[in-house]
Amino acid sequence: MTRRGGGAGVLVLSLALLAGAPAVAEEPRAGGVLKAAMIGEPPSLDLHWTTAVITQQITWHVYETLYTYDRNYNAIPLLVEGHTLGDRGRTYTFRLRRGVRFHNGKELTSADVVASLSRWGRMATPGKAVWRNVEGLEAKDPSTVAMYLKEPSGALLMALARPNNGAAIYPKEIVDAAGDQQISQFVGTGPYRFVEHKPDRYIKLARFKDYVARPDGPEGFGGKRTAWVDEILFIPVPDVAVRLAGVETGEYHYAQQIKQDQFERIRAMAGVAPGVIKPAGWSTAVLNHKQGLMTDRRIRQAFQAALDMEPIMAAGFGHRAFYRVDPSLMHVEQAQWYSTVGAELYNQRNPAKAQKLLKEAGYTGQPVRWITTREYEWMYKNALVAKQQLEAVGFRIDLQVVDWATLVQRRNKPELWDAFSTGITFNPEPAYNTGVQCNWPGWWCHEDKERWLDAVARETDPRKRKAMWEKVQVLFYEDVGRVKFGDYFSLEVARKELRGFRSTPELNFWNVWLAPAR
Amino acid sequence: MKTYVLRRLLALIPVALVVATVGFVLIHLAPGDPASIIAGPDASAEDVGKIAQQLGFDQPLHVQLVRWYGRLLQGDLGRSIFLRKPVTAAILDRVEPTLLLTLAAVLIAVLIGVPAGVLSARYHNSATDQAFMMLALAGISIPNFLLGLLFVLVFGVWLGWFPVAGYSPLEDGWPATLRSLVLPAFALGLVQSALIARIARSSMLDVLREQFIVAGRAKGLGERAIVYKHALRNALVPTVTVIGISFAVLISGAVVVETVFNIPGLGRLIISAVLRRDYPVVQGVVLVIAGVYMLVNLLVDLSYLVIDPRVKYR
Repeated sequence: MTRRGGGAGVLVLSLALLAGAPAVAEEPRAGGVLKAAMIGEPPSLDLHWTTAVITQQITWHVYETLYTYDRNYNAIPLLVEGHTLGDRGRTYTFRLRRGVRFHNGKELTSADVVASLSRWGRMATPGKAVWRNVEGLEAKDPSTVAMYLKEPSGALLMALARPNNGAAIYPKEIVDAAGDQQISQFVGTGPYRFVEHKPDRYIKLARFKDYVARPDGPEGFGGKRTAWVDEILFIPVPDVAVRLAGVETGEYHYAQQIKQDQFERIRAMAGVAPGVIKPAGWSTAVLNHKQGLMTDRRIRQAFQAALDMEPIMAAGFGHRAFYRVDPSLMHVEQAQWYSTVGAELYNQRNPAKAQKLLKEAGYTGQPVRWITTREYEWMYKNALVAKQQLEAVGFRIDLQVVDWATLVQRRNKPELWDAFSTGITFNPEPAYNTGVQCNWPGWWCHEDKERWLDAVARETDPRKRKAMWEKVQVLFYEDVGRVKFGDYFSLEVARKELRGFRSTPELNFWNVWLAPAR
Repeated sequence: MKTYVLRRLLALIPVALVVATVGFVLIHLAPGDPASIIAGPDASAEDVGKIAQQLGFDQPLHVQLVRWYGRLLQGDLGRSIFLRKPVTAAILDRVEPTLLLTLAAVLIAVLIGVPAGVLSARYHNSATDQAFMMLALAGISIPNFLLGLLFVLVFGVWLGWFPVAGYSPLEDGWPATLRSLVLPAFALGLVQSALIARIARSSMLDVLREQFIVAGRAKGLGERAIVYKHALRNALVPTVTVIGISFAVLISGAVVVETVFNIPGLGRLIISAVLRRDYPVVQGVVLVIAGVYMLVNLLVDLSYLVIDPRVKYR
């Protein structure tokens, strides 16, 4: 199913995945076991507990949220019929859909929603951000929930729609039993129900036969969700070569995170189609604003001025189809947010300016401790090329290559580093963009930026929101919040008998079916 | 003899203690922690701290070490952070594939290695000898993960004879299990067979130069009887030692091969546990593998009694 971007607000998200599919629409067909080769094991199956993408990818077939995204990444109702606004935008009254059932047979009520949302607001990273503005939550009647805000919010519904570390609705008794510990029963209202988890073998989901789908047709990630396949097996396959070989031989129907340099080879394979996830995120060096060398703005500006992004991105992603040198913090596919303000400070390739700034700052070759990892090969390669360019203008870079577990631990300790490598994954809502948050490692806290970011979260008029976001982006470049290298896309593969599948940043298998293998 | 075995078994205790301590200290000295992994990439430092506190990893290291000893004395290896079950149960879940894989690999190594070594010795310096030894040299030089990936490419992808990865447990029927083990077992076993072949050859050559062989030949014994009855049995002692070591080496080699072939055995268990800093699992598996190592050594020593009647233990 190909979607091509047209006018404003349309996201171009996929290549023609089903190149070999017949031109006439094919009747979907029920049955079969879909085998998906994943990069590893989820660290938790409790969506409130972790921001790990793999947890979201697996569990959002099981749990559902009040809202989800349409194809343009706007929030649309999922478990609710809709909402009304009161008290000058500070009271949201949500009407739940009736007759929706959990996998344990119980009907969804407002008590489940209140229990789940309160826990999400207490536990989850985006939940806590939302809860700073929440005054109260109340079950008005079995199918009505009221949320009282301190200030109006333009981002609330987007936050409720967000799948990552998302506001999943669990049955109240499971929330009560778990408290702040991880839940031990994985029950939701989704089209698939959790069957079993055999670590390092698979996580098995099966069609939920009492699923109550929305009556409207499929729309983006929402609308009518249909579980065509009987079972989905999420199989952890850590070795990338084995993931690809498994799809090639038909052992798996789908494999994620394939090395981009395999693109041409895959295009030549019979029975297999590559899928490009565009955009997947942007690659960055996060600078330490709290402690050490990088607290000096001139040194950060020198860092930013020295870099030439094209070779950095080319080294990291290999094939031109998988990266883009672009200044916008929200991707070009997100037309409602895309902006090039501040672009003159991106990709400057200006060694003279960098040297001048370093001299002004009195920099005398103190080592810049940059933590990176080979677990994501592109992070290492980005850092390696950038190191060369930075050293050419006089920086001394101490590149520390560690495993991912070490990187994510050390980055929380400001005394240990000056820069670290990471990717800011695609996020439809700028107010919650990790790339600009103050309480995240890097601690880029800037008075004006915080004010504008708060304003973006509060404002409801889309045009005003964009203008406010542009202020944030300008500051991002002037103050060098982080150093953006460029946008990257990722590669996944699927067998051609997997129909109805589209490559998006939010992997999902509802509305897909398995045609008989040829 | 009984006192010997008892003494050897008792000697396991201090060794196990040292292994337990070293295992604990090493994994805790490594940077990284399970809380950051659970919280995921977008979590803030305070979220990570909260999770660490809930898991009990904010306690000082020596307190955690004393707790670990305390539980160990009761035969309790602790609970896995990620698998949410006791480490002992997690290990028992993974024993089947690793045990079968190792046994199959040892079998392949012995069935190929011993005859190749014996034939090379018998036809010393012939073309057969040189061909076998060249293969053995190649075998020793190829790392098993590379051999594994080559097998996947040739027999899995190109020829399609075997699955490229995965393991089919015995409960789903043994033919499927066997099929899923062929490639990894050969990847693992061939490398060891090369080592065994070289040792078998050199010990056979030593024995064939002994005077009792000359005496045997002088009294007119046939070449077959000399090689297979008199020489082979004497050459077995060093060979069995190597086979015993092989078994132990293969268990650790399984770590790599299980990753390449995506087999959910002890090797995968320890790799994923290390990557996500699942401390109790790492400590438990290290201890169990060390225990197996020590037991295999003991069994090898005892097997000398059977092979060579001159060996006596007191």
